[in-house]
Amino acid sequence: MRLSSFKYLVRQGWHSMVSNRLMTLASIGVLVACLMITGVAVLLSVNVGSYVDYLETFNEIEFFIDDSAPADVVENLKLQLPLAQNVAFCEYISKAAAVEDMRGWLGENGDVMNDYAGEGNEQNPLPASFRISLTDVSDMANTVQRLQSMGAYAVPAQDGTAVTYNAFYRINSPTELSSTLVNLRRIVSYVGWGLVIVLGVVSVVVISNTIRLTVFARRKEINIMKFVGATNAFIRLPFFVEGMTVGAISALLATGIVGGAYYGLEQALLQPDALWLSEFTRCMLPFFEIIGPLAGGFLLFGISIGGIGCASSIRKHLKV
Amino acid sequence: MPTTDMIRFENVKKVYTGIESKSADIVALHNVNLSIQKGEFVFVLGHSGAGKSTFLKLILREEKATEGRVFVNGRDLSKIRQRDIPYLRRGLGVVFQDFRLIPSMTAYENVAFAMRVTNIPERQIKRRVPYVLSLVGLSGKAHSLPQELSGGEQQRIALARALVHSPPIIIADEPTGNIDPELSVEIMELLQAINSLGTTIVVVTHEHDLAARFKKRTILIDHGEVVDDGVSPYGKEAAYL
Ligand SMILES: Nc1ncnc2c1ncn2[C@@H]1O[C@H](COP(=O)(O)OP(=O)(O)OP(=O)(O)O)[C@@H](O)[C@H]1O
Ligand SMILES: [Mg+2]
Repeated sequence: MRLSSFKYLVRQGWHSMVSNRLMTLASIGVLVACLMITGVAVLLSVNVGSYVDYLETFNEIEFFIDDSAPADVVENLKLQLPLAQNVAFCEYISKAAAVEDMRGWLGENGDVMNDYAGEGNEQNPLPASFRISLTDVSDMANTVQRLQSMGAYAVPAQDGTAVTYNAFYRINSPTELSSTLVNLRRIVSYVGWGLVIVLGVVSVVVISNTIRLTVFARRKEINIMKFVGATNAFIRLPFFVEGMTVGAISALLATGIVGGAYYGLEQALLQPDALWLSEFTRCMLPFFEIIGPLAGGFLLFGISIGGIGCASSIRKHLKV
Repeated sequence: MPTTDMIRFENVKKVYTGIESKSADIVALHNVNLSIQKGEFVFVLGHSGAGKSTFLKLILREEKATEGRVFVNGRDLSKIRQRDIPYLRRGLGVVFQDFRLIPSMTAYENVAFAMRVTNIPERQIKRRVPYVLSLVGLSGKAHSLPQELSGGEQQRIALARALVHSPPIIIADEPTGNIDPELSVEIMELLQAINSLGTTIVVVTHEHDLAARFKKRTILIDHGEVVDDGVSPYGKEAAYL
């Protein structure tokens, strides 16, 4: 396409937007509203995600080892558990280390643990354990089961059969918390995407109606263009320019509003009297990190919706 | 197909199908066989509803023949691809009965429009538009809006616009329908002048007098059929009209 033709088409699109300004403003308004709701939903979803990520760092599971478990079984577990599927980190806490941990916990009163201290101390009532954290917390229940079965060992009985024991006599896992978090994250992201889709469809309909009005207002011109031999692509272009410009303007406005509100919220949370919220504030994605993707997403969303709305409204008018 | 055929109809039938079969099918044209040579000047004559506009629509590929084949400027329109239709139309200059000018554009802009939307560089537009306006005798009115011009002048703008792509064929639908009788002679003389430069001209009209006055080949359509084809005036033709 020639530059002069391109300039002509852009001028046409712009001209029709201006002469149709009421409809243009109305569709910009609706699109901005849709983008804002979508943006808020997405920001909420990513921030909840970030908070859940943070909470998930506390996903430690404790596998307590039965004192009667044979040493070779425990040695074997020390080698195998860190390599097991979905295990991010595995630490062995010996009975003596457990005492030292407890002493640390007790602080000034740590001395009460003196009687139990020392490697191989027969008095020590605390069990040895494995502390394990997972890569994928959503699979916690299954993983715990699988790891627990690794603790099984068989002891031959007198009658020739074997009795099966498990080296782990107790397991502490925050299964419930993790499944709540995982569900929370899933719900938030479903709602977010649901909104994106529903509002996307609404926006397409609104834009395509605006364009349809423009097409209607210019149907004679379109008819003439067809008879003097303009290609469909050429006839369509001004409408695409119009639709995409509406999309882009809406995206910029929505970025300004949502981005501004986010910045304001961030500043408010950083105030000293809001420090009780510091747990959330720490997880809140910083403004400068979200503003780029937000503006990009809005532009992409707005412009493609403008284009799709356009395409869906002018197809039938070109059938001459 | 010999290369001198500009337009050829072979056993053409056109049926308009009623929407959702509520209305009956209408056979607008049937059994049409004819050819128009390069450089010919032809009248297509017929009553209202005879099928004249349908004939034009088939040439412009606004409608597709239900049966048979239509050739225009060497192209078989039953096989033409959708994206080639614009290029077919650039070779067909059309002057509509209602002129179809854009009211918000000057005479110059209306003519230039046809070149802009077909991707022609501005330099060429600046040279070509004044030239075609001078051909139709409207150089002095280039910057007038259609509503400031008489019917005859508007029609000449429409003709100038039809000429911008130097098409080998010019088609005029009822060119005398909306203007005074003296002016209609004027436009016909313009068309003859263009024809004398080698352009094929097809004039659609229901005015028997007009066809008779110019003593040109006349294709007479009645109830969708070509009932006569020869140099006017015809006794037979007069009986119909
Ligand atoms: N799009 C259409 N759908 C259905 N029927 C149509 C359509 N266009 C034309 N017809 C019918 O086909 C027949 C021929 O119409 P056409 O327009 O070709 O006549 P015409 O000779 O141009 O008449 P006029 O001199 O009044 O313009 C008429 O009976 C008309 O009602
Ligand atoms: Mg007609």
